[in-house]
Amino acid sequence: MNLPSIQAGRRTFLADCGMGFTGLALGAMLAEDGVAREPLGPTGQTHHLPRARSVVWIFLSGGYSHLETFDPKPALNQFAGKTFDKTPFENPVNSPLHKKRFRSVPAEEINIRDVYPTIYPMQVGWKKHGQSGIEITDWWPHLARQVDDLCFLRNIWTTDNDHAAENQIHTGRHKLDEPQPSIGAWAHYGLGTLNANLPKFAVIGGPSRPDTRQSIDSLYLGPQHAGVPLIIDAKNPLPFGTRPASQTQAEQIREYQLIHRLNTLAAVEYPDDKELLARIRSYEMAFRMQESVPEAMNFTRETLRTTRLYGMDNPATRVAGENLLAARRLVERGVRFVQVFPSTYGVWDSHQKLKDNHTRLCATVDLPVAGFLMDMKQRGLMDDAVVVFCTEFGRTPGLELRGGGKDGRDHHPNGFTIWMAGAGLKKGHVHGATDELGYNALGDGHYVTDIHATVLHLLGLDLRKLEVPGRKRIDMDHGKVIQEVLA
Amino acid sequence: MRIILVTLALLTGPAVLAAEVDYILQVKPIFESRCASCHGVLAQKAKLRLDHGEFIRKGSSNGPVIVPGKNGKSLLIQAVLGQDRERMPPTKEGAPLTPAQVQILKQWIDEGARTPANEPLPADPTRHWAFQKPLRPPLPAAKLSANPIDRFLGPAMESRGLTPAPRAEKTTLLRRVYLDLVGVPPEPEDLRRFLADASPDAYEKLVDRLLQDPRHGERWARHWMDIWRYSDWYGRRNVPDVWNSAPQVWRWRDWIVQSLNRDLGYDQMVREMLAADEFKPGDDKASVATGFLVRNWYALNPNDWMRNIVEHTGKAFLGLTFNCAHCHDHKYDPIRQEDYFGFRAFFEPIYVRQDRMAGEADSGPFQDYDYSVLRKIQRLGMVRVFDKTPEAPTWFYTGGDERNRVKERGSIPPHVPAMFKQPPPRIDPVELPGEVISRALKSDIRATILADAQAALTVAEKELAQAPPLSPLEEKEAAKEKELPRLRAEVARQKVEAARAALADLSARLVAEEAAYAKPQPTNLGELKRQAARLEKLALAAKAQTELQQGEVALGEAKKLPEAKLKPAVDAANKRVTQAKAELQKVQAALKDPAQAEKYSPVSRVYPAKSSGRRKALAEWITSRENPLPARVAVNHIWNWHFHAPLVASIHDFGMNGKLPTHPELLDWLAVEFMDSGWNMKALHRLIVTSNAYQRGSTSGDISKDQENLFLARMNTGRMEAEVLRDSLLHCAGKLNYTMGGQELENTEALKTFRRSLYYSCFPEGGGKGVLGELFDGPDPLDCYRRSVSIVPQQALALTNSELIHQLSSELAVKLLSESRQTGAGFIQLAYERILSRPPSKAEVEACASFLGRPGDDKTRAALVRVLFNHNDFLSIR
Repeated sequence: MNLPSIQAGRRTFLADCGMGFTGLALGAMLAEDGVAREPLGPTGQTHHLPRARSVVWIFLSGGYSHLETFDPKPALNQFAGKTFDKTPFENPVNSPLHKKRFRSVPAEEINIRDVYPTIYPMQVGWKKHGQSGIEITDWWPHLARQVDDLCFLRNIWTTDNDHAAENQIHTGRHKLDEPQPSIGAWAHYGLGTLNANLPKFAVIGGPSRPDTRQSIDSLYLGPQHAGVPLIIDAKNPLPFGTRPASQTQAEQIREYQLIHRLNTLAAVEYPDDKELLARIRSYEMAFRMQESVPEAMNFTRETLRTTRLYGMDNPATRVAGENLLAARRLVERGVRFVQVFPSTYGVWDSHQKLKDNHTRLCATVDLPVAGFLMDMKQRGLMDDAVVVFCTEFGRTPGLELRGGGKDGRDHHPNGFTIWMAGAGLKKGHVHGATDELGYNALGDGHYVTDIHATVLHLLGLDLRKLEVPGRKRIDMDHGKVIQEVLA
Repeated sequence: MRIILVTLALLTGPAVLAAEVDYILQVKPIFESRCASCHGVLAQKAKLRLDHGEFIRKGSSNGPVIVPGKNGKSLLIQAVLGQDRERMPPTKEGAPLTPAQVQILKQWIDEGARTPANEPLPADPTRHWAFQKPLRPPLPAAKLSANPIDRFLGPAMESRGLTPAPRAEKTTLLRRVYLDLVGVPPEPEDLRRFLADASPDAYEKLVDRLLQDPRHGERWARHWMDIWRYSDWYGRRNVPDVWNSAPQVWRWRDWIVQSLNRDLGYDQMVREMLAADEFKPGDDKASVATGFLVRNWYALNPNDWMRNIVEHTGKAFLGLTFNCAHCHDHKYDPIRQEDYFGFRAFFEPIYVRQDRMAGEADSGPFQDYDYSVLRKIQRLGMVRVFDKTPEAPTWFYTGGDERNRVKERGSIPPHVPAMFKQPPPRIDPVELPGEVISRALKSDIRATILADAQAALTVAEKELAQAPPLSPLEEKEAAKEKELPRLRAEVARQKVEAARAALADLSARLVAEEAAYAKPQPTNLGELKRQAARLEKLALAAKAQTELQQGEVALGEAKKLPEAKLKPAVDAANKRVTQAKAELQKVQAALKDPAQAEKYSPVSRVYPAKSSGRRKALAEWITSRENPLPARVAVNHIWNWHFHAPLVASIHDFGMNGKLPTHPELLDWLAVEFMDSGWNMKALHRLIVTSNAYQRGSTSGDISKDQENLFLARMNTGRMEAEVLRDSLLHCAGKLNYTMGGQELENTEALKTFRRSLYYSCFPEGGGKGVLGELFDGPDPLDCYRRSVSIVPQQALALTNSELIHQLSSELAVKLLSESRQTGAGFIQLAYERILSRPPSKAEVEACASFLGRPGDDKTRAALVRVLFNHNDFLSIR
C-alpha cells in the first residue's frame, strides 16, 4: 500500500526541518524498524557471520515423555515393574546429578513430589528410521520419514520439576530466581528486522495461560522486544489491526494524512524531538501493517496440496497445521523469531493415561510438523531457518503413584529430548544420551540456555555481548553453544 | 575510550601481542573484572589485593604472587591456570580466564610486571558519596530566581555557556502542570481562566490548588506503586489459585492515595509500610500499609517471599542492591553475603494475617498453602503482616538455593551492613494490645459480632411470634401424632432461648477476654472468667437442647413416612437425638466440673501478644536522619517524575556501581530540605514546579552543547504513561468516572468502564495490564524503577482503530459541536482547547478546515477529534 501524499509530505518535512546532523543520526536509528531505541541498545548488527536468518520455535506444553517419543529405552521393558535398585544399573536417584537438576518451587517442607522408583514400561513400540537409523517411537510415523534432516539432543535438562519449567526453557531461569527476558526477546533485541511491516518476534497459538506469559516477555529489554501474539484470522490477526467497518479505506487514508500533516507542523516547532520523528514514522508503519499482517495470515492463496500437507483438512491436525503454516508464511516474509504453540497449555502433562494422551496428541502434531518441514525444505527456507521442537521437561521412567496412579509418568527435569533442524545444524544426528533408564542426562548434558546460545549463535549473536548495563547475567544465563550439533 | 581500546586488545590473540603490554589498559581491567571482588578493596582473601601495583608486589599470605621476568615461576599464573592448586577465579565464581587474558598476564610479568608510579589508590568504599550523610551545601547567589533549584542549576549552566530557554507558553505550562500533578489535562475553562489571570502569583495559586485536588493522590500513588511493586493477586489467575500477593491488597493502594492526599510524611509512609503493626498496633487504617510486604507473599515458598522483600526494600528505600549479595559478597558495595541474611532476619518472623472488617461477614483466617487445595479469592476482610514467630531463625545458605543451608553458622541475627556510620537498629519487642491479640475485642468488630447475635435473636423471636397457635383440630391431631405439632412449636421457643443464650455468652466472653488482656488486669478477672465459662456452656447447652428437640421432631416426622423410606429416616433422626443427648450431657458435666469453671473459648483467633520489634527498628533506622540514603533516593524519584529524567540515573542503585549524580549539591540540598520539612512531599513538589527550570519551554534552537539536557537549560519532553493516556482520553471526552478507591477492577473492562486507570488490575501475568498498558509501557509489577518509553506501530493502531477511540471521538465531536455551535473554525478552536489545551495555529486551522470541508458532517468531525487524540502533542507532555 502506497501513501503517495504521505511520501510527498515526508519530503516537505525534510525540507522544513533542514535535516541537520541530528536528523541524519536519527534517520540511521530509525532506518531499521521505526522503533525508537535506547541509545545503549545494540545496533542490530550481528556479532559474527550468521548461519540462519529466522527461528521457528515449536513448544509443546505440559511435558511430552522423552521416552515415548525420541529417546526410547529397551531397559524399561526389560525391568518393568522392578524398582531402580533392582536393576543392574546404578540407581539414577543416587547420582549427584539428581540433586543438581531437580529443584522444587515449593519449599522443602511443603514439597510433595516424590521420586517414583518402580519402572513403568514403554507404552509404544519404536524402530530405526532413515539412513541415519535414528530410533523414534511409532507415534510419529510422518516425522519418522524426516529423521535424516533432524538433529536430536537427548541430554537436555532443566531444574524446575513443575510447570514453571515452561517459562524456564524460554527464559533460562528457575521460577525462584530473578526473571529474565525470553529467548525470542533476546533475538529481537539483538537483530535487525527483515521486514519492517511485520512484528519481528511473532507468537502463534499462545501462550494460552496468563501465568506463562513470561515465555514471550522482554522484561527489562523493553516492551517493544516482547513477542507479539498473532491470531489465525486474516480479518483481524492483530489487536486493533484493522479499521472498523464504519470507516472506508479512503476515509482512513485521509485521517492518517491529517495526523501526518499536523505532526509535521509540530516537528517544525520541535526540531530536536526525536520521539516525534519516531512517532511520525510509526504511523506510516502502522498504516502498512494493516495490510501486511492480514496478508501474512491469509491462507486463501495456499494450494490445496499445501494445506493438506499441513493436515488442515483434518479436524485433529487442523490447529497445529494452521499454526505451522502461519509460521512458514511469517518466516518467508522475514520475521526473525516465530514462537509456535501447536497445543494448548499443559495438554501433554500425562500423569495418568499416558498411552491415551500421547496416542491422541502425537497424532495432532506429527503430520503437521512433518508437512511443515517438507514445505520449508522444498521452498528453500530451511537453508536460512532454524527449527526447534521442544517441551518443558521429560517424564519419569518410574510409574507415578500419586492419587493411586497406575498408567502415567510424573514430571522429569533431569533429562529429556528436543530436536532441532535447519541452517547450520547436523542432519540425521543424535547428540548426547540419558542413562539406560532414561533418567539422568549423561555427562554435563545441556541446561536449557545451551539451546538459547546455540540458536542465537546460528543467528550471528553472542548472548554475552547483548549485556544490558545494570542487569547482571550469570554464566548459566548465557549457556554454551553446543558445538557438536553444528554442521 | 579506555574501555574500547581494552576490548580491542583483548580481541587480538596472543599471536599479535608483540608490542609491550600496557598495565593500565590491558592488565588492570582483567584484575578489576575477574579478581578484585575477592582480592581488592572489599575483600582480601589470602591477604592478597590485586587492585594496585603496590599490593600486587606485596603478594599474599602465601608469599609473592609474581616473579618479575618469570611468568612460569609466578604463583599468579599457576593460580589462573589451576596448576597444582585451586584454579582462580574459583569455579563457583565463573569461567576461567581466556587464553588471551592469561597471555597478557604472562607477557606483562615477563616484561617486568611494571606498574606506573602515579597509579591512584582505589577508592575506599566507605567514602563513596552516597554513603556520606548529606549536608546542606551553601546556596549559590540568587540571580534570576530565588528558587534554590535555579540557584544550583544557574552557575552550572552558565559555566557551560548554556542559555536557558524562556518560560514556556502559559498554555504549555498549564497542561504540563496539570498532567504532572493530577494526571489529566485542564478543562478549556481552566485554560481561559489561567490565561486571563494576570496576577503575578497566578501560577503559584494554580499549583496550590492542584496539590489540594484529590486527584493528585491518585496521580502520584501510581508513581509510587511502580517503585513499591504494587500488584494485585496472581499465581494462577485462570484456575483461579492465589499464589502471590492477596485479593485484599487494594486496601494498601487506597492507603497510598489517601496518605499522599493528606500529606503524610514520606518517612512515616515508609515506617508504616514496613511495620505499621508495630508502630501503631491496632490501627487498621495504617496496618494495610504493610501491603508493601504482603504483595511479595508467595504461597509455595517463604524463601521467595523473603528474597523479594530483601531485594526491593533495599532498592526502593535505600538504593542498595542487597540482592547482589544473595549468592556471594557484593562485588561493588561493602555488603557481605552475611549482611544479606542479616537484612532478611528483620523480616524472618512475619506472616500474613487476615482480619475481619466491621460490618462484614467473617473472612476466616488467612489460608495456608496446601498442595491439594486451591487458594481461594477471598474478598472479605483485610490483610496485613504480623510477627508470627518472633524468634524464627534465619539460615545462611549458598548458591542462592535455600536447600544449601549452612546450619553450622547458626541463625544469622538481624543486622545492617557495617559500613553505615549511624548507630545500628535497636530492637525492642512491642507489646500488643488485646484488640490486636484477639480481633473480636476491637470495638467495631465487637459491635459487629454482637449485632450479628442480636440479629439472630430477632429472627428467632420473629419466627416464634409468627408461628400460629395450635387450632383445636391440631390439638386433637397432636394427641394422635405423639404431640408433633406441639414439639414443633417448642422448637421455635427453644431457638429463641438458644439465641438469647448465645448473645449472653458472646457478651460475657468478650468482657472476660478484654479483662484478661487489660493492663493491669482487673481484680474481678476470675469472676468474669467464671461468668464467661458458665454462659458459654449454657449457650452450648441451649444449642444442644435445640438440636435434641429438632431431632425429636424429625423422628416424629420420619415415623409418618411410607414403609419404604421409614427406616433410614428413623435411623438418622435417632442418631441425631442420641448425639444431641450426649452433647447435652457433656455440657452439663462440664458445668459441674470445677476444673472447667474458668475455661472458655476465645471469640476470635488468638494472635501473639508480642511482636519482635525487628521491623520497627529497621524502619526507624531506614528513615533516620542519620541514614545517608533514603532522602536522596526519594528526592531522586520525585525529581525524575517531574523532569522525566532523574538526577541519579541508576534509580535503584546508589552504590559504587551506580551512576554519579549529575548535580550532587542540588541533590544533597534537596535531600536535607526534604528531611527538614518533615519529609513533606507536597512541599517538595511545590518547590520543584515553581522553579524556573521546571517552567522553561521544551523547544531549543541549539542543543549541541548539552545533547542530553543534563543542565536543564530547557524542559524535557515527557510521554504520558499508559494510565495518564487512558485517563486523559476519557477526561477529554467527559467520560472519566472519578469515584475513588475500592477493590480492583478487571482489565477486560478497562475499555468499557471508565474509572481511573490505577483502579484496574495490575499483576505480572498475562492479562495483568490493560490493552493500553500493554502498548504504552504500563508498569511491570515485578520491577519498574523507571518506566520505559517505546514507540511502536501498534500504539498508532490502537489509537486509530479501537472501538473505544471511535466511540469517544464521535461523542466528543457531538458535544463540541453543541458547545461551539459552529462547524468550522469555532469547532476546530474548541477541539484544540479541549484535547491539546491550546489554540490552534493558523496553519493548523487551515489543515483542519480543509479536512472538515464545508459544511462538514458528524463523521468527519469525529475523525478530526480522533486525529487530535493521535496528535503527538496529545501524548507528549511538553
